[in-house]
Formats: sequence, structure tokens, C-alpha cells
Amino acid sequence: MKGKRLLGIALAISSLSLLLVAAATAGPTAKRGGTIVLDMTTDVDYIDPQLSYYGETWKLEATTACKLMNWPDKEGAAGAVATPEVASGLPLVSKDGKTYTFTIKPGFKFSNGKAVTAQSFVDAVNRFANPKMQSTGVAFLDIIKGAQAAVDGKAGSVSGVKARGNKLTIQLTKASPDLLARLAMPFYQAIDPTLARQIDANGINQYASCGPYYFASRTPGRSITLKRNPNYKGGRTANADTIQVNIGNSVDVEFQNVEKGTSDYASGGIPATEWKNIVAKYGLNKKDGRVQVRPQLDVRYVAMNHSRPLFKDNPQLAKAVNWAVDRQAFSAQGGYLYGKRTGQILPPGMLGYKPAGIYPLKVTANTIKQARKLAEGNLRGGKAVLWSSNAGTAPLQAQLIQYNLKQIGIDAEIKLLPRAQQFTNAGNPQTASFDMTVERWGADYADPYDFMNILLDGKQVTQPQHNNYAYFNVAKYNKEMTAASLLTGPKRGVAYAALDGNMMRTNPPWAPLVNSNDRIFLSSRVGCVTINEISGTGPLLNVLCLK
Amino acid sequence: MLNYIIRRLLWAVVLFIGVTLITYVLFFLLPADPARLAAGKSATAEDVARVSHQLGLDRPVHEQYVLFLKRLVVDHSLGRSYANRRSVNEMVGEAIPVTAALVIGGAILWMLIALPIGILSALKPRSLIDRGAMIFILIGISAPVVWIGLLLQYFVGFKWGLTPNAGYCDVIDPPVGASCGGPADWAYHMILPWLTFAILFAASYARMIRANVMDTLGEDYVRTARAKGAPENVVIRRHVLRNALLPVVTMLGLDIGVALGGAIFTEAIFNLPGLGRLALNSVLNLDLPTMQGVIVFATLTIILLNLVVDLIYAWIDPRIRLA
Repeated sequence: MKGKRLLGIALAISSLSLLLVAAATAGPTAKRGGTIVLDMTTDVDYIDPQLSYYGETWKLEATTACKLMNWPDKEGAAGAVATPEVASGLPLVSKDGKTYTFTIKPGFKFSNGKAVTAQSFVDAVNRFANPKMQSTGVAFLDIIKGAQAAVDGKAGSVSGVKARGNKLTIQLTKASPDLLARLAMPFYQAIDPTLARQIDANGINQYASCGPYYFASRTPGRSITLKRNPNYKGGRTANADTIQVNIGNSVDVEFQNVEKGTSDYASGGIPATEWKNIVAKYGLNKKDGRVQVRPQLDVRYVAMNHSRPLFKDNPQLAKAVNWAVDRQAFSAQGGYLYGKRTGQILPPGMLGYKPAGIYPLKVTANTIKQARKLAEGNLRGGKAVLWSSNAGTAPLQAQLIQYNLKQIGIDAEIKLLPRAQQFTNAGNPQTASFDMTVERWGADYADPYDFMNILLDGKQVTQPQHNNYAYFNVAKYNKEMTAASLLTGPKRGVAYAALDGNMMRTNPPWAPLVNSNDRIFLSSRVGCVTINEISGTGPLLNVLCLK
Repeated sequence: MLNYIIRRLLWAVVLFIGVTLITYVLFFLLPADPARLAAGKSATAEDVARVSHQLGLDRPVHEQYVLFLKRLVVDHSLGRSYANRRSVNEMVGEAIPVTAALVIGGAILWMLIALPIGILSALKPRSLIDRGAMIFILIGISAPVVWIGLLLQYFVGFKWGLTPNAGYCDVIDPPVGASCGGPADWAYHMILPWLTFAILFAASYARMIRANVMDTLGEDYVRTARAKGAPENVVIRRHVLRNALLPVVTMLGLDIGVALGGAIFTEAIFNLPGLGRLALNSVLNLDLPTMQGVIVFATLTIILLNLVVDLIYAWIDPRIRLA
């Protein structure tokens, strides 16, 4: 009897020990509920779905919106394909590629209980195109039939978008294979009838939405509160009850708050010098770890102005600059894990990206020798004006480029400008008095059109405002870009890859420098870290959970 | 007196027009296009032209300025922000109490620091207290506000955790989801901003009070009071301080007026949603209506406070009216 009792006690102790060991070694488990807090350095523009056009807002709208097509809440390749969300499957496409028919899946509801229908998407497009809304994103409507007439106030609605029962038809002005990626932009999310009637260019700060969360409140300049959508049955995760956004803290304070645990995510970033320390302290890219780094769809580059004497019909000098720029030193100014050096237009991860290895990613005596050889006889006086932003590390990066240019015989005068002035003036032929300007472009949606055609199509350069800061206008490439934009599937990728390689090899419009990383610092309170850079920067907020 | 008041009021109007006009002209001299900024990065030329028309930026500068004055005087409206289209009246209205809390709280604190230091230093010149005070004054005047603020934030707020490192809490009616609210939270969050804001002024005021008290101590009427056998505390309180602090009060009024225009550095460091931060953001966003809104408020405050000071002086000293 005594032996049995002892055995019982021993078994109980062993079981308890095993439980304790198991509890101690188990990974963090998702806790549904609680409040996730994040810090943003600057306020968002709007939270109104048809007006907001800031990356930070889109990060929030990724949790509040339901769309026809969306990026799955998954990492890597699994999250990189626009997948039907409210659409029951891929659309039926007409033979000429101009008409898309979607069937709407039942069961999606707005946070106010109303059902999501095909009309919810028609309402979104009409509200987006309504001239009284004064939406600045209307350029993304350009391929939809009747959109321009609505934007110009000549039609009350967009004739190319129609709902009939659970069917939604979208007619295009031309075959546009990037439509599905465009539909994943927040502008096109379903809106409920109440919001559809609220036509206000000042934006609406509280509205019902059909994603896992909805905007419960916004105090401009101060805070935004997101709550879980009680009617959501769409299958996406919604771990925290509330997502609280605090606005206006400097990157120093954001770092301090996340380190202390009073905030969970430094959405505005942390000081450049801290990245190395926190990686050493907490490790990098551990499962649910505090420091996560992912490449994002962007490129930092020096645009060479092909409309000015220095680079006009002077591909040898443009190549020389590409051989001379020290991409390693440029990247180092942004701090640890700032980005990956590049010599190409398209970023890795983008359809059509193919490593070409045309230019050196590390400067050596030999690369400088090669750069000088290319520059020889093509310097045209050797004077240049180099524009750069006056903020953060940009002035130091401009000085580095100035030094690199000096090595090949170009005496560059740096002109530092507030960022807003820099790109508005660079895109205006009347004020673009630069030979080179240091720029950055981040993808609006994951398609090479948003890089190649938007940034380098020469048809833009005579317009009063454009994004072709290189003033690159080569008939052959203009034609090839237009042709590539009409292709679908792998052919599209092959065409854009060829464009990228050929342009950079024969007549480089830019000296691409770095594809910068999305560097994420999280508090010790949170787990369930999933990152999908195609859907937006930072961790997916609806998936993020408290440990 | 009436003539004097009318003259001063007219001069205030001229000053107001001058300041707002200069702001307008400077803004349009900037080689930048707010419409391009507002139109978004993928905007076409047509989009930019449309936004420019919507914002009224396609009109001549003088027309825009007249429209601004008309809107201000007739509709009492400062317009809408280019950046987020919010009413500027609303934005300025929300920011004023925050800046006022910072400035008034800071002023109380700097007077609480400056008065005893200045008086004690003057009463005991070249003593240990005086020398210590001089060191404080030297540091306070020399150290940039940004540096003081960042140090306090890092050590007191972050490392030692004695106070919050940044942020603002509303005294009443905090926004939904706010992690704090009420008078206690409000004051707790304001400790570091008040301290940062007060140090610079406390140092210069301590120096001014010390000099004034020392000057007054040498006056004949102080010697007379002492000769008549008045106790030292009465001499100091009634005869010295009353006279020595008169210019300090005047300075205080003017400094508060200027500071109300926007304590940019302190608000930026501690993330206080006041006029300073509003002004800073509006400059970065090329947001003329908001920038102009803050300038209108600051100009009016300074003009009004100057006017009040001038009128009080004229009332006290009739020679000023004659001049």
C-alpha cells in the first residue's frame, strides 16, 4: 500500500515535471484577444478607402478591407499571388481580354451587419471616380471603360462596371493583364451603401468595412483604433481584439517604446544605428522573433537626366556612372541590413526580375579603372548638378555619390532639397534643372508595369508632371514597354526581364543602387509574426497576436 | 488716449497684413508645387491640373491672398489643409490648448525656478549659491532645447522610467482607444515637456532677476527704508522685489505670447499635438493653409499682447502717449 502511494507520488511528480518542462519549452502560443499597439511617426493621409494613398494607411486597410482579389496572409511565394477573396474564383475573361466577369461569394458581411454584394464593388468604383471625392488615385482607373468620363464629371457613374445579382462585370478600354493586381489595391475594396452615399472630399473617418477589422475611431494627428469585425466570416485571422495606432512619436521614442513594451511595433522605424545592436541582442528572423528583415518591392537609384547635355545620347557616361557608384557605401549609410545592392531596374520578387550581373555591386580598383575608361572622352565639361533630399541619411549618401563621380572626372555640385520639393521639381520639365537626382520608388501594386512603364515610358517626359525623372525617351523601348504591358503570364515576365537587361546594358537611364529592406522591430509581448511584403510593409496586423 | 488706441489698432492691422502677405509670397516663391504633392506619386498632368484647380492654386497669387483675407474676415475661416483637407480652424483649435498647457505650465515652472535663484544670488553675490546659480544659468542658456529634451527623454523617461518618455493625455474627453486620460495622467505626461521648456527661460529669467534685484538694492529708497529701521524681509519684499520684478512681468507677458506661437522643439520631441508640431508638419507637407493658420494665430497673439502691454504702459506713463 505504502509502495503504491509512493509510486503514485512519484508518478504525480514526474507528470508535473513533464508538464512544467513542456510549458517552459513550448513556443509562444497565439492568444486571441487583447490590444496590439503600434507607433507611427507621421499621421496617415486619410482612412477613407477611396482617398487614402499612403503606405501606412494601406497597411491598416489590409486588415479592414475585403476585396475581389487579395494577397493571402502568407509569407513568400504563397502570399505573392493575387487570389480571389470575395470573388468565388478567378474571373471569366473575354477573348479580347477586355471584359472580366466575377462571381461574388456569399457570406461576407460589413461590420454593421450588411451583406457584401456585387453592387458593393460597383459603389466603390463609382465613389472612387466621383469628381466630388477628388481622389488622387484616379490614375489607377485609367483602364476601366467609362472611368475617365466619370472622373471628368461627364457621366454620373462608370459605365464599364456593372452588377447583376451576384455577378460583377468590368469592361476595360484595352486588355490589361495587371487588372487583378490593381483590384487588390485598397481603392477597389467593397464599400457599404452608407459609405457609398457619403461623397466627401474631406474623407470619412469612421465607416463599416468587411475585412477582419474595422476603423472604430480616428483622431487625426493622434490615434487610430481598429476593432475586430464581429460579422466577419471570411476565413482570415483576426487575433487581437483591438489594434491601437499612436501617431507622432519620433523614431527614437518608437524604439524606446518597443524596447520597454509600451508599444508592440515601431511602424515608423527606429534610429539607423540601433539595428545592429538589436540584431545582436535579439537575433534575426527567428520564428516570431523581435527583429525581422524582409526585402521589399522598391528601388533606390540615381536618375540621370537624359534631356540635359551631360547624359543626352551619352550612354557611355551613364554606364561609367553605373561602374563608379559605390553601392556598398551608399547602403551602409542607412544602417545595418538597410538593403541589397542592385544594378537593375526591377526589384527581386517582382515578376520579370532576373539577375543580370551587368554592373559591379562592390567598388574595386578595377571597377574604377573600367568606369574611367568608359567616361573618357564623354565627360562633356565634367560638371553636374546632383539633387538629393535634405533629410536623414540622404545628404551623406549624396556626398558619397559626389565622391564616386569625382573619381571618373565629374565635378558634381550637390543641391539638397526638402523631399517634397525634390520630386515635384524633378518631375516638372520646367524646373528639372538637375543632371542627376537620387530617388526611390516603392511599388503601388506588384506588377512590373508599375516600375517600368510608370518610371521610364518616354511618352511622359513632355508632360508638366511625371515620374520619369531620367527623362528617358527612346522610341524602341517605349514600344517594347507598351508591348510588354499587354502580355500575360510568363511571357510578360520574360518581356520585362529583357527590357530591364537591355536598357541597363546598352543605355542605362539610372544607376540603380539598393533594394531596401523592410526592417521590423517588435516588442517581447507579441508573436504570430507573418510578413507579406506584396500586401504591405510590416507584419500582418490581423495575424499578429499577444503571447 | 482714444487716439492712441486707434493708432495702435490700425498699426496692428497693418502688421497683421504684412506678416500674412510675406508668408504668402514666400510660400509661392518656393520652387515646389503643392498640387503635385497632393495629387499623389502616380498622378498624370491632368490629375495635377485638376487638383491644382480644386485647391485654387491655378489662380494668381494676389487673387488667392485676397480670397484668404475675405474668407478670414467674412467667414472667419482659415480654409482647409492641402494635406488632408481638414478644416484649419478645427486643427488650430485642437492644438491651442496643448500649446497653452505647455507654455503656461512651463512659465509657472520657470518662474518657480528663476525667482528663488535670482533673488538669492542677488542677495548673496559671489557666494556658493550665486556661483552655483551662475553655472545653472550658463548651462541653461547655452544648451539647446533639443539636446536637453532628448537627454531628459532618454534618461528620465526611458532608462529610469520615472515619467513617460513622450505622448499627450487629454484632461477631459480622451479619444476612443487612448491609453490615458484625466488630470493626473495629463500632468504626469507633461512633466518632461514642462521641464525642458522651462530650463532655457528659467536660466535667462534668473539672470535678469538677479541683475534687477542687485540694481534695486543700490537705490536710495532702499537705503532710506533700511535707515528708517524697516526689517530686512519687509525691505526686500516691499521695496526691492516690487520694483525689481516690474520689467520681469512685462517680459513674461511677451515671452508667453511668442511661445504660444509654437514651441516647436519641445512639442516635436515629446509628440505633443500642439501648434509647434502642427506648424512643423505643415512646412514639411507644403501645406500653406495650415501654415498660414498657425501664423495668423501666432501673429494675433503677439499683436494683442503687445497692444495690451502698450496700453498698460500708456496708462501708467502719460509721456508715452505724447511720444
